[in-house]
Amino acid sequence: MHAKDSGALLLTPLEVKRAVSALPRAHWLRLHKVARALCRNAHFEAEDLLQDAFTRALEGSRRCARTVNIVHFLVGVMRSIASDWRKACKRRLEIIGPASPTGLLQEVVVKVRDERPAADDWIASAQEATCIKRAILDLFADDGVAQRMLEGIFDGMAGEELRSLTELSQTQFASKRRLIRRRIDKAFPQEWKP
Amino acid sequence: MTRKKTRQQQAPLDRLTDALVDDVLATSDAELLNEAQAEDDNGAAVARRAFERACRPAAQRQLQTSKRQVRGRRLAGANIRALDPKTARGWLDEFIASHPETANKLNDAPAAGDQLSDEDVYGMLEMLQKRGARKQKAIDQNSR
Repeated sequence: MHAKDSGALLLTPLEVKRAVSALPRAHWLRLHKVARALCRNAHFEAEDLLQDAFTRALEGSRRCARTVNIVHFLVGVMRSIASDWRKACKRRLEIIGPASPTGLLQEVVVKVRDERPAADDWIASAQEATCIKRAILDLFADDGVAQRMLEGIFDGMAGEELRSLTELSQTQFASKRRLIRRRIDKAFPQEWKP
Repeated sequence: MTRKKTRQQQAPLDRLTDALVDDVLATSDAELLNEAQAEDDNGAAVARRAFERACRPAAQRQLQTSKRQVRGRRLAGANIRALDPKTARGWLDEFIASHPETANKLNDAPAAGDQLSDEDVYGMLEMLQKRGARKQKAIDQNSR
């Protein structure tokens, strides 16, 4: 396929701007809720994430296919940015003073340390994650089905497999998942904290 | 299939985040509006504001973002080297736009239109990050 042809399949930045401008209120709420969920694990503000996603879409560095729902496209962009930001926070640096007497900024030697966490960091972060998981499960101390569903999610289950685990009908399953989301949103408005 | 494989490789809290996002996408408009009303949620206004900022010319946008990022600890906590070059350049531009007096003191601070290499950009951000950390340490010590 020629580049020109593939361009016709993608929205132009102006079309993106028009499409986003015309979104109804529910979609703005949806985008914000998604941003908030993604930032909970990345130590960034939802508004920053939203702005970055909009900027990339408007500048054309991320292009939306005409066949893709614009909200789903923006959610995809936010997921990708949040993932990059999370990685950026996890990796650490070692800065070794100015390498020359002139001390120019460009001459500072920077070593990027091994991206894998050191053993003590890993243990600390694993302990914190365990505490957070416990705190989340405790929110549903009165609801064994919700706890089972959460355990399944933590174990990597999704979709039909997860629904089977809970033995709920499709509608009941959706309601339970919603209840979980709302209770978590209320208990953890910003970051995950044990 | 791909999604499932990815989920298996994720940390449990990331999996939960994914499930929460999926739920938001699956929730009907009416339900979201009801939730917002019940919870007095101003998320729609926040998202619109972010969009309006993104629509502004780059210089204004960078200034606004920088002001907000003083509260959010973007530069302080991040690993600069892990940023993609475009994001790193954006962060440096934002800093220069919001702290022109500090930027002028830096050796080889970029003038408008200057083309810095990616390496230059990373180096400058890291130096700014380091200076910020030193300043914070001094403040902490003085306050004791």
